[in-house]
Amino acid sequence: MDADSLSRSLDGMRTTLLKIARLQLRNDSWAEDVVSETMLAAIEGAASFTGNSQVKTWVVGILKHKIVDQLRRGGREVSVEAQMEAAGVETLDELYQPNGHRLNPPLDWGDPEASLSRSQFFEVLQACVERLPANMGRIFMMREWLDYETDQICKELDITSTNCFVLLHRARMRLRECLEMTWFAKERVA
Amino acid sequence: MTKGWLLIPCRNAHELLSRRMDEPLGGGDRLRLWLHLRICGACSRVDRQMDFMRQAMRQLGK
Repeated sequence: MDADSLSRSLDGMRTTLLKIARLQLRNDSWAEDVVSETMLAAIEGAASFTGNSQVKTWVVGILKHKIVDQLRRGGREVSVEAQMEAAGVETLDELYQPNGHRLNPPLDWGDPEASLSRSQFFEVLQACVERLPANMGRIFMMREWLDYETDQICKELDITSTNCFVLLHRARMRLRECLEMTWFAKERVA
Repeated sequence: MTKGWLLIPCRNAHELLSRRMDEPLGGGDRLRLWLHLRICGACSRVDRQMDFMRQAMRQLGK
């Protein structure tokens, strides 16, 4: 791919790349850095892009690597915050009765896969992930977007596996509520 | 449904549903969750929604 058309594609992708990097790193200057590094790496590696995948998929793949490096560099800082957050008082009590049964039954999401072809759905998904507390969101993204194993997350952030499971569980429950309220409840009415 | 060795409330079922996405469950937990999902339609729904969310997250940025 020639440098000119690649640069144009990269310019078009920049906002998306930044959004995702911010979502994962929860730190604006880190996000700016990894996106710049990603663009540089893409331009330098343009010859190795075979065109078998879409440019965006290829660039997002590079971004993931750069983010992993950044998380490693910033690990200590992230880990202290994560420990504090896991120890926090948030318990999901608002979702349950004292006997452990749900207060509000979950809605039927119908055919949720149909939403995957809609760009508005991904905007809602990103907004819901963004609403998670910083480290809960970071760990959730590491697990579900960067595809880390949980023991890798524990090791890298130096938190216990129990804390890790707790944060992931809270993240999933919150995300479920958020998607239901801001997307699926409305879809059903529509 | 009262809490026993075999019968668990939805709250615990949700914890196990999430845990199962991160590591294989031990025998007792697997049995409790399996049984709960057979009896509880609401949690089966949550189970499918969790799978869907994983699928959606993997497509972020694609």
